[in-house]
Amino acid sequence: MQTVLNLLEMEPIRFFIAFGAILFLVLNLAAILVMAERKVAGYIQLRYGPNRVGWRGILQPLADIIKLFTKENVSPGRADLWIFLGAPIALFIPAVLVWIVIPFAPGAVVADLNVAILFFVGVTSIGALGVIMAGYGSRSSFSLLGALRGAAQIISYEVPLILSLLGIVMLTGSLSLVDVVNAQGDTFWTWYFLPQFPMFIVFYIAGIAEVKRVPFDLPEGESEIVGGFMIEYSGMTWALIQAAEFASMGLMSAIATTLFLGGWQPPLPFLDLGQFNWFWFGIKTALIMFTFQWIRWSMPRLRMDQLMDFGWKILVPACLIWLFVTAGVMLIIPG
Amino acid sequence: MLKDEKRVESITLSGRESGRLANPDIRDEFGLETLDMNMGPQHPAMHGLLRLILELDGETVVRCDPVMGYLHRCQEKIAENRMYPAVIPLTDRLDYFANMHNEHGYVLAVEDLLDVEIPPRAEYIRVLMCELMRLASHIPSLGFLMLELGAFTPILYCFRERERIQTIFEAVTGARMMFHYIRIGGVKADLPPDIPQKIWDYIEGLEQRFQSDFVDLIQGNEIFISRTRGVGTMSQEKALEMGLTGPPLRCTGVDFDIRRDYPYSIYPELEFDVITDQAGDVEASYRVRIAEALQSIRLIKQCLEKMPEGEVMGDLGRRLRPAEGDGFGRVESPRGEFSVHVVSDGSDTPYRVHYRDPSFCNMQLLQEVIPGHYLPDIMPIMGLIDPVSGGWDK
Repeated sequence: MQTVLNLLEMEPIRFFIAFGAILFLVLNLAAILVMAERKVAGYIQLRYGPNRVGWRGILQPLADIIKLFTKENVSPGRADLWIFLGAPIALFIPAVLVWIVIPFAPGAVVADLNVAILFFVGVTSIGALGVIMAGYGSRSSFSLLGALRGAAQIISYEVPLILSLLGIVMLTGSLSLVDVVNAQGDTFWTWYFLPQFPMFIVFYIAGIAEVKRVPFDLPEGESEIVGGFMIEYSGMTWALIQAAEFASMGLMSAIATTLFLGGWQPPLPFLDLGQFNWFWFGIKTALIMFTFQWIRWSMPRLRMDQLMDFGWKILVPACLIWLFVTAGVMLIIPG
Repeated sequence: MLKDEKRVESITLSGRESGRLANPDIRDEFGLETLDMNMGPQHPAMHGLLRLILELDGETVVRCDPVMGYLHRCQEKIAENRMYPAVIPLTDRLDYFANMHNEHGYVLAVEDLLDVEIPPRAEYIRVLMCELMRLASHIPSLGFLMLELGAFTPILYCFRERERIQTIFEAVTGARMMFHYIRIGGVKADLPPDIPQKIWDYIEGLEQRFQSDFVDLIQGNEIFISRTRGVGTMSQEKALEMGLTGPPLRCTGVDFDIRRDYPYSIYPELEFDVITDQAGDVEASYRVRIAEALQSIRLIKQCLEKMPEGEVMGDLGRRLRPAEGDGFGRVESPRGEFSVHVVSDGSDTPYRVHYRDPSFCNMQLLQEVIPGHYLPDIMPIMGLIDPVSGGWDK
């Protein structure tokens, strides 16, 4: 028994188990999010949403997964098969990988990297590669347009996304997410969303654009390019792309929670649950995910040129201005 | 973006006589070729079965060729082999979002041939049904426009209204879509006794939630404005030149409405405004449709208030044999002017029936307006016309 515990203490094995747990969590999260999305959409749209499988349709994700697993995987005859089949994987891996740097509760983090924010920025931008692979490998003009849009969008919105994180890095003096959470304290008015409010808004908007959701779902654009880069996918490959989309949506919410809403910190000191503070983390993340879905079902889509204008002419200057303001305030009031 | 003169050149080259889709002569300033794309007929956002052959320069559309005919059912030819009253159910299948107007147009044309007297109550019921139909067509068309812009939710609110109007139609006519209700000489049957009150209650309720459900959430939305303002703009002259009718014409500022300018039925006795807008873009057509829906509510109320008692069917023989000659009927359908020309050779079947459908005639706007716009703008411009597949293909 003792040897087993010792083994668990060893770093590689601990990491391995923890990463397995993350994978389990993310895949389940994707399934739950699909369900939540359909329910939220249903209630916004004057209908019930899925309510046939299980109690109030609670087993619907299971039915979906069985359906997708048993579906034939059709790839177009002209497709570049290696690129075509590699794309879902290239989309899925970054969406899962970043979860390892997120602190879920005090001490509950797979890898406390000292460059966690850099890691997040770097790994999420690999997602653009997956989009280009999917669009290029399918050999369809619709998916090619979708991929070009996706690549341009992700790369453009990476800039305000990174800039919006800089203010926090300046305030904390660290790139580690654990340090960021610890620095925010256990009262909600000390969380960074108040001093960095414009940055929070920019991060939120750029985050929606990064995960390609309405009003920035141009790479999908179902009314003009019919699903864009994922138009040719079916069965498991499509499921993997969807899982990646939902995992990265959850990821964006989790990162926003960690950076701006105090991570696992309770809103008031007496609400501290100790090890069970993951509850607060979950509540805040779910709240942000719900707002993502709320926007998803009530907004129309922007056009490509408007999207670029918005990113470069509004978000980036706003970030830069607030960066100077933050720096100025930090100079005047040290500490 | 192509330079302007090149764009003009590409429009003149847009005919298919060259025998190939790509035109290698059109290159942008970097000498790059354009991309050909085929949109439809199996396209989820296309209104019915329309195929657009597009030539793209990046995201900019250089050339747009609409190809129709995927829903052609020989409606005009079939009508020649049927007796006059038996053509009415066929007209239901034309513009299936405005069936009542199709029936009305055809019936007006035949009555023009026959010279019969229609009981006033039947006229009121016809106008009442047509205006309900206009509501049931204009409100979903707002939803379609939003769907084309990427917002999925509004269409479900719009279809809630259409559903309720269809329930009323079902009670009155017995069918939800293919009514066969307006007959030569009157209407099929009188309104059921409880229906006028039901329509009144429904209209009152709709008037109350109209602002909150269809105007506030949509019209003030920044993204909606930026996606529709200035998109698909056309001048009055251009609109008249292309022979547009209905909201696409009125949104450019031309004050033309068949109901007022070539009055038929009891429209001269009713009060309503003809809505126009100056901008001539997608947003203006949306505003025109919203305001017209409100005018329809006004007309329905007047119909219900003024409706006389009496017969609903004129005195006609069993077998209609109009004298030789031709009859013409034109109505203002939700999409524009719907007119029917019926030629009689004295037998009990029409010699020739011709439909002028607004979906078909407004469609030529696509070729003129779309080049120069971005690819995502195609769908809102389709929403400006709001064509119906059954209408343009007959």
